[in-house]
Amino acid sequence: MENLALILMEVVSAILCFVLLRFMVKPYRTTGEGRYLGLPLGFGFLGVSYIFMGFALYFESFIFVEDLKWFQLFTQAYAFAFLAATYYFSKKPPERTRLWWDITYTGLVFAAVVSYLVVFEPPMFGLPSYKTVDEYFRLFNIVCLAYISIHTLRSHVSQPDPKTIWIPISYLLLGFAQYSSLIWSLDSSFTAYVGAHFLRLSGLLIFLFVVYKAFYGTREAPPKEVIKNEEAST
Amino acid sequence: MKIYGDLLFILYGESKKEKVVLTRVQLKINVPFDRLKTYIAELKELGLIEDEPSLKLTDKGKLYLREYATVLDFMKRMGLTYQ
Repeated sequence: MENLALILMEVVSAILCFVLLRFMVKPYRTTGEGRYLGLPLGFGFLGVSYIFMGFALYFESFIFVEDLKWFQLFTQAYAFAFLAATYYFSKKPPERTRLWWDITYTGLVFAAVVSYLVVFEPPMFGLPSYKTVDEYFRLFNIVCLAYISIHTLRSHVSQPDPKTIWIPISYLLLGFAQYSSLIWSLDSSFTAYVGAHFLRLSGLLIFLFVVYKAFYGTREAPPKEVIKNEEAST
Repeated sequence: MKIYGDLLFILYGESKKEKVVLTRVQLKINVPFDRLKTYIAELKELGLIEDEPSLKLTDKGKLYLREYATVLDFMKRMGLTYQ
């Protein structure tokens, strides 16, 4: 029963990520700038990582369950790395950093492919224990999410606006979810494990709320505001 | 890409006035006049603006501008900088 609830949470998280992916691709499609490609890639990888975890929970006695968990670990870390790279490059002038973001994104995709191959075909010296690697990856995820949270918070503080506060909160919730998972990994606290799932789900729901307000919030939609203002001034 | 979006915003505002004066547009967008003319020609080619009877956004241009502004607002909400 507990397992079923956790599987359901993984499925819901994956669905939320794929819904968000549809909107996260819009900055790239509208501006045509490759630096924003990390946003859809990040949410895409995040969704795939939840699917891997859902499968690992569902097929507990399956022979490849360990491989699925390894895939989940890598995929989630790449997701946060892509998101952090997007925020890093978004504040840099595009003319000077175009080559760097191309190299970074290509490098991340290449590293992802290599790490998947390593899981399928382990090297002769063998892989370290999953638990140890899991803890290091959680720490890496926390660092990425802390960077993004600080970036978005600074952006909010520099131009205070009630509508820009939600994203730092959602990234912080995702960060706390990773921290909770780390606690669970260290002391097997079930509360931390369930808490991590709820924090993550809350974070993703806030993303969905922001997307809804930006694309369907008719009352505050800036294009209409802009057009109304223009009409009023004439 | 950003320059085209900015130009569409300015042209939309200016087209509400009696006549679009290109030197005023140039002052607002801050690019050399010959480059401004190139941008305008490109926007015309894309069907986003027209100059009959005077320079203004087409329906396609208005639709694009709305979509562009929505995405800019979304990026602002996401804490992304677009420069």
